[in-house]
Amino acid sequence: MKAAPFHYHRPGTVAEAVELLSTHGDEAKLLAGGQSLVPMMALRLASFGHLIDIGRLEELRGVRSDGDRVVIGAGTTQATIERSAVIETAVPLLTRATPFIGHFQIRNRGTIGGSLVHCDPAAEYPAVALALDARFDITGPGGARTVEASEFFTGHWATAVAGDEVLTAISFPVASGRSGFAIREFARRQGDFAIAGAAVSLALAADDRISQCAIAMFGLGPTPLRATAVELALAGSPAGETDAAGLGVASVEGLESIPSDLHGSAEYRRRGGAAVVADAWRAALEEALR
Amino acid sequence: MTATASGAARYAGTRVPRVEDARLLQGRGTYVDDVSRPGMLHACFVRSPYARATIVSIDARDALGIPGVRAVFTADDLIPMVREQWYTSMGKDVPDTPRPPLAHGSVRHVGDIVAIVVAVDRYVAEDAADAVEVEYEPLPPVVDYAAARRRHDLVHDGYPDNVAGALGRPASDDLLAGFEGAAHDISVSIHQQAYAPVPMETRGLIVEWSGDELQVWASTQSPHEVRMFFARLLGIGEHQVRVVARDTGGGFGQKVVPMREEMAVALAAVRLARPVKWIEDRRENLLSAGMSRHEHGDCRMSFDADGHLLAAHIDHVQDVGAYPTPWPVGTAAAVGMLFPGGYRCPAAGWRSTSVFSNTSGRAAYRGPWQFETLAREVLLDLAARRMSIDPIELRRRNLLRRDELPTRNANGMPYSDMTPLECFEHALERFDLTAFRSEQDAARNDGRYLGVGTSSYVEPTTTAMAFYGTEGATIRIEPTGKVNVYLAGGSSGNSLETTAIQLTADALGVDIADVRTVQGDTAVTPFGAGTGGSRSGSMVAGAIEQAAAPLRDRIRAIAAARLEAAVDDIVVEHGAAFARGTPSVNVSIAEIADIAYFRPALLPAGVAPGLESSARYHAVAPIIWANASHICTCEVDIVTGAVKILRYVVSEDCGPMINPNVVEGQIAGGVVQGIGGVLLEHLAYDDDGNPLTTTFMDYLLPTAADVPMIEFGHVETPGPGPGGYKGVGEGGAIAAPAAVVNAIADALAPFGVEITRLPLSPAAVVELIAGVR
Repeated sequence: MKAAPFHYHRPGTVAEAVELLSTHGDEAKLLAGGQSLVPMMALRLASFGHLIDIGRLEELRGVRSDGDRVVIGAGTTQATIERSAVIETAVPLLTRATPFIGHFQIRNRGTIGGSLVHCDPAAEYPAVALALDARFDITGPGGARTVEASEFFTGHWATAVAGDEVLTAISFPVASGRSGFAIREFARRQGDFAIAGAAVSLALAADDRISQCAIAMFGLGPTPLRATAVELALAGSPAGETDAAGLGVASVEGLESIPSDLHGSAEYRRRGGAAVVADAWRAALEEALR
Repeated sequence: MTATASGAARYAGTRVPRVEDARLLQGRGTYVDDVSRPGMLHACFVRSPYARATIVSIDARDALGIPGVRAVFTADDLIPMVREQWYTSMGKDVPDTPRPPLAHGSVRHVGDIVAIVVAVDRYVAEDAADAVEVEYEPLPPVVDYAAARRRHDLVHDGYPDNVAGALGRPASDDLLAGFEGAAHDISVSIHQQAYAPVPMETRGLIVEWSGDELQVWASTQSPHEVRMFFARLLGIGEHQVRVVARDTGGGFGQKVVPMREEMAVALAAVRLARPVKWIEDRRENLLSAGMSRHEHGDCRMSFDADGHLLAAHIDHVQDVGAYPTPWPVGTAAAVGMLFPGGYRCPAAGWRSTSVFSNTSGRAAYRGPWQFETLAREVLLDLAARRMSIDPIELRRRNLLRRDELPTRNANGMPYSDMTPLECFEHALERFDLTAFRSEQDAARNDGRYLGVGTSSYVEPTTTAMAFYGTEGATIRIEPTGKVNVYLAGGSSGNSLETTAIQLTADALGVDIADVRTVQGDTAVTPFGAGTGGSRSGSMVAGAIEQAAAPLRDRIRAIAAARLEAAVDDIVVEHGAAFARGTPSVNVSIAEIADIAYFRPALLPAGVAPGLESSARYHAVAPIIWANASHICTCEVDIVTGAVKILRYVVSEDCGPMINPNVVEGQIAGGVVQGIGGVLLEHLAYDDDGNPLTTTFMDYLLPTAADVPMIEFGHVETPGPGPGGYKGVGEGGAIAAPAAVVNAIADALAPFGVEITRLPLSPAAVVELIAGVR
């Protein structure tokens, strides 16, 4: 369980990192917290000629408010996010999702950018970003660009970040009004990747109707998925009349690429998915009505 | 014999803090990987990607060209060096199964050893292992042991029907009569999945050959077995081999004997005449260090109209994989012989068959015969429900009472000194069944499903056959009065150092702070069989007492002369000797030692100088029986199938406890392994024989969050050995699986669910419920 040989680079700036990526092409890989990459390399499931360590770049770290959004540096650790008072107030769903990630030792090193770019289909942060319509700041040889969450997760372990680009920051809208947020997941053990999970964000109008809602599911497809049809149907409906169990079932009904493995069949995950969506919906609604 | 002949026991029976803890918890332990030798090389294995294949060719030229690579050896290089290959613990005459250090001609499981690569470090060794080109001709694998007897494909030539061995007790007339015309005759097949010991420290060793002396640093439960085994393997004298095992991070049976990799490392190290280290990584451990459990039984019990057990029979089949270690057939007999457990059962019979498959070999694992308890206890619950008797009431009607012993069970096992019914009642008293049943009723009305399960076992501990029948100790009271006690050791977390120090301090009447123990070095300790078979408490107690007795006599003789008192009046306590009734007029052990070593002229006539004693204890009983009852409660989420363990109660009878902390630690560890074995752990293979669980992402161990606080109750019935102590190392792992299964079965009883197949993953629980709806 030792990695194959590789060259190690520690650029001093994002610009240098981008340059190294361009120079080494497919042989290059960014190393952030290393909580997924390093075990994969140690098991020789992945091998790269050049590792570019961006884990110590100060410019990638930190949490700041920017008007109606909160901007989080991609190199910010999950542990920092877990403890951030700014995030707890402005993006509570992110705070609540964090304890589900591995164990505290992992969160001390793991970064939000690493989670999002690694994009494990059963991971929490990608689903939270999708539910909250996060924006992704990406820097490459051609300069900086911003990608919406709806465009970011492009496939199984694939994102809009190209091989010569660096994800630098992620911004989330600040929670406001009568809103509610909840994340629920079912895993074999505390800290394991989810068998099925759901993140729900919703807002109520003054008349207690659903003014906005998002249901993002994880572990139930190649990427995190929004239950768009269910969300559309819910918009405008009176909060008191929503049927959590029914919308849970409806959210997972059309899913076609649910994984199946030792821990459960696709049908089993679908059943669990319906239950976690329902639970998350109930909790988010209860918070919004409070 | 008692351990307290010098006066009142000060330490035995008390919660003395573990002397190992300060070292281990501060990271100051010395495991094999902490040892480094000048010029040391590192080994890594080329392993088969196929479950069954012919090796067509092996080309190591590219690997040997990598800078830093010292050697690549295959079976052709190393197997000719093998002189004798058998385990002391099993003896050379058992019909042992094939176990070549490296695959010769064909591979028999994914992970089978094709070559050993030796290089300057493990990184280079792994690079080189990747560069060894092996051409295979794949063959259809025998993956499913349950179907293996019907296959024409053979795991090993010379074993028709893939049967490694079978034993049994022919059905007697009594047995047939016990089933014939019984009011209730209940049969069920019960299946247990493969899971594994998974010690925190994987296997590993360093072997260094000087041309005259073989030095081995080993992660082992039995340093002397390693020494004798390697001496035979290499054809050198036992006295030329020194094995050192300072700290071992868990064994649970996996480290009772050296396995194939360890043989290959020893052979390679001798061939190279350089120190070679191999530290198994987790992937290798899950791939090749052996699996356990994976067995099933066609079980049958009959009862009279009142639920009294009349007859019991089990037809047991176990998977032994490709290269079981050690010989697995004899252990399987215990499944049959113990199937009646601690119950009154007039007639019984059994059959047990060991079957090869193209998977990792079967390894010993804490309570290797535990299937007897799982099968019996699950069957009893199922039978109770079918007979409309409460499962707990059914057990009350059938468990043996202490006053019915000694007796033989219907398979001939000689039970004595146990408390099956008494322990069961003791556990129930703490548990409060009535309160639970009302809580359960209330929960069901809310759509929540709680359940309670029990499991009771009897266990032959300290089995004193051959290798395991004696144990040695050397005690040296040094010239300053400080004490060292030397034991073979083999502790892998079993607190054997604490145990030895407690018993020695009591045996000599000295302060525990003045006693240290030296274990795990064959150059300085007496021969011993190591840890296994729940033997160490009793055997070490016997050895220490026997070594201490003559020292005590010498101390008292010297003190009597010094104090001008009668020897018979001398008491030794708190490190000083005095005449009974006058403790203020005393002579310290330090002063006595000073006399014994430096002032022999002051010694009374006939008293030899020095204070050193070696003795060898021969077990006074062939078996020391222990028993326990476990009670588990759980809540089952019927939507997700998740099981949460709520309470876990154990009442056990391991006789008087040397140290309740150690007893409870042993039980807790075993219980956690049992919980994991039901709910989480599964060493799984696909249909082609590819292992699916070779990392801790896939092989799920229980964590602190999955296990409740375990509540302990103790019934202390002395056994026949020293101090009345009985073995306690394995019981937790033996009883726990059935308690958990039965709790889940009870929770799901409203659905009519019967559980006969493990593991109970959440998905499996959901399927069980769906299957009966």
